[in-house]
Amino acid sequence: MSASLSMLVEEGGALASTLGVSLGASGLAFVLGTPLAILLFRTDLALRGVFVALFTLPSAVPPFIWGMGWLSLASPRAGYLNRFFGEGTFDIYGAGGIAFVMGLSGLPLVLLAGAAALRRVDPALDEAARVCGATPLRALLTTTLPLALPSLLSGAVMVLLMTASAFGVPYLLGVSATPPTRVLTTRIYELVLLGGEGSLTRALVLSSALVLLAPVALLATWALGRAGRVRLSAGKGLSPRTLSLGRARGPLSLAVGAVCAGLVLLPLGAVALTSIQRSFGAELSWESLTFAHWTGVLLANRTLDAAGRSLVLSVGAGALVCALGLASAVLRRRFRRLGPAVEALAVWPYAIPGTVLALALLVAFSRDVRFILLDRVAFVLALAHTPWLLLLAYVVKHLALGARNSTEALAQVDVSLAEAARVSGAGPVRAFVDALLPLLRPALLAAFVLTFLVCVTEITMSVLLIPAGSEVLGTLLFELQSYADPASAAVLACALVVLVLLGQGALAGVRRRLPGERA
Amino acid sequence: MTAIALEGLEKAYGTTPVVRGLTLEVREGELVTLLGPSGCGKTTTLRMIAGLEHPDAGVIRMGGEVVAGPGIRVPPERRGLGMVFQSYAVWPHRSVEANVAYPLALQGMPKAELASRVREALRWVRLEALASRMPHALSGGQLQRVALARALVAGPKVLLLDEPLSNLDAALREELRAEIAALRARLGTTMVFVTHDQGEALALSDRIAVMNLGVIEQLDAPERLYREPGTPFVASFVGGANVLTGEVEQGVFHCAGLPHAFVLPPGLHARNGSATLVVRPEDLELGAEGTELPLSARLFLGHAAEYRFPLGDTLLRAVGPVLDVRPGQTLRVRVRKARLFGAE
Repeated sequence: MSASLSMLVEEGGALASTLGVSLGASGLAFVLGTPLAILLFRTDLALRGVFVALFTLPSAVPPFIWGMGWLSLASPRAGYLNRFFGEGTFDIYGAGGIAFVMGLSGLPLVLLAGAAALRRVDPALDEAARVCGATPLRALLTTTLPLALPSLLSGAVMVLLMTASAFGVPYLLGVSATPPTRVLTTRIYELVLLGGEGSLTRALVLSSALVLLAPVALLATWALGRAGRVRLSAGKGLSPRTLSLGRARGPLSLAVGAVCAGLVLLPLGAVALTSIQRSFGAELSWESLTFAHWTGVLLANRTLDAAGRSLVLSVGAGALVCALGLASAVLRRRFRRLGPAVEALAVWPYAIPGTVLALALLVAFSRDVRFILLDRVAFVLALAHTPWLLLLAYVVKHLALGARNSTEALAQVDVSLAEAARVSGAGPVRAFVDALLPLLRPALLAAFVLTFLVCVTEITMSVLLIPAGSEVLGTLLFELQSYADPASAAVLACALVVLVLLGQGALAGVRRRLPGERA
Repeated sequence: MTAIALEGLEKAYGTTPVVRGLTLEVREGELVTLLGPSGCGKTTTLRMIAGLEHPDAGVIRMGGEVVAGPGIRVPPERRGLGMVFQSYAVWPHRSVEANVAYPLALQGMPKAELASRVREALRWVRLEALASRMPHALSGGQLQRVALARALVAGPKVLLLDEPLSNLDAALREELRAEIAALRARLGTTMVFVTHDQGEALALSDRIAVMNLGVIEQLDAPERLYREPGTPFVASFVGGANVLTGEVEQGVFHCAGLPHAFVLPPGLHARNGSATLVVRPEDLELGAEGTELPLSARLFLGHAAEYRFPLGDTLLRAVGPVLDVRPGQTLRVRVRKARLFGAE
């Protein structure tokens, strides 16, 4: 115990950076997200639909890729912005840069939490303030905003948790900074790579510190959620009236457009530009643009190899997450007492930082696991140093997606649909397959696509668990960016962004078919 | 011939008993209604007949064969029933036709025969024109008719109806009620109908079983049930009667704990002692004679009016000709007809 404590004290720097970076990121997301949420969801701002889509994009694209974008823009010497404004104007390296990139990546969490709350605030409350003599702006600031604040804050807490568990961005922007910024996740990674009994123990102690963040953050969101129980809009068709911006509409729309372009489009553009530059840091000119990297990277055996492995693992993870999620939802419904425990077991790992989960699996399966049944049949589970350990990690981490989607979908379908099939002459299994499964399919499909997309771009757990010599897309991106050339990494990043956007498009299509959306 | 026999059925959810020793015989071709307030165990009883719930004790026989009892549990799919649910339970991912075809498809019926049977069933409920529609394009009444066709298509001996009309508006309810009666006349199917609406029960049933707290309080033909309620509960549930407790003393009823007293009609030979007085609203007369009571409200019903008098912590309701009276006025109320139940 005291040994663990003294280790924690020695690693105080990593602990402090984690806290600082996380608080910075969640603060940025909150400060930026609150006015944006009001402008996007409560006013008549121009092009709101486009802005909402663009501002929520950061949640679909992995933070690591945003980090790459900002690195190409604002690395002190070669960054495009610094070449324009003069060398050294911006420096993305270090704690500030990590907080900035993670804050922007987490912005959708605040925006979406705010949107949900703003939509639920009874418009009559706002109108009551107007009738009392408040101007529209004053009514908004004194009535709607305080009611939506708890949800906005709980979004910010989620950003805090997400930043504390982040690995890719802190590694990219922290480890090679001068002086290096080490957070808990990157420190754990270093210790595991270092190997040896002492390092591993130290990594486990740091993990315990990191894992404690999850319950604290969840408790905070729970408390905020209780404070934020906002009265539901009464009656149908009472959609909140949008606040007319009047003469400020044009300038405000332009300002939001500029922020959107600067924070979302610019880094993506930088990644794209890097991918077609002959060499990063060289003078920009038309002659220096080339697609050589594209063919070079996308057709390389190494890439195809990694893509194949990622595909198998992600499809496998998606399928298992759906199957196990459905099973947990059905169990929950069937067995009142045992059910919630099963569901909790399925949902909890989602809140555990990927680094910690990966380390736990690494330790648990460092030796082969043997089951012996009835003294006769022996099962040997030798997962260490195989990609299957990664599959297990993907499934455990994302089980919540399958469980939650299934539970919600199952709660919306009427049990008497299955009972009607039973009375019609179908057995219990047949009744489930014929009457309920078709109605659950869109929800399961959504869980599958979501899991697939997250796993295919996953870096945090992959770098710890993938056996030496074999790669997945996430680790390939990580390796190319960290040790090879930024241009090749940018090509892979662009390809992944395209894949993610296609997947999100498919997801939007699936969501439209969810029960309950149909009304 | 007995179609369904329930003997001493018991069912509890956790420690709450829902059905307590229920016994009932339904004859072939008969329509028996289980009528009662929510929570009286009527739906649970129906679900036990369907096989969707298993009784804790007791035996269910269908056509002489035990389908549920100690050690015997025939699953719903092998009971050969039809059932209509309150929520319609029409499968949203299947067309009207496919919904109705499902029970036949499970039997492995050849395509041609299946198609003609489905057409016939849809004709019964007048939905031939909508055969290829998807359920989301149908109204509530149409959905319930799909459910009816689906329940009847395989020619079940028994049709179970679980509050099939409750989710419909008044006009549709009337229409579908007539349709169920017509189908019954045509097919002669034995039906067990569950409802909390006394009007529905009185209009449709051969016999009504009034249920309260998990037991049948009275099982009788509608007219008899209405005219001669066997218990105060049946009288108040089926006729909306006023139920008062008190003492009878030489032809006068004294309300318990209240200063009010009513002179009983001469025909009512009552023993002295504690009793329950049951009076229908239309059997109370407002006029020159009777007990003086302050009027608290007058509700205009069109052909008549309802008059309300506070009586302790309950209300005495009378229905009669429309009078020009105001709340606060004192009126005289006379009991013209009543039933007395001895105290238990």
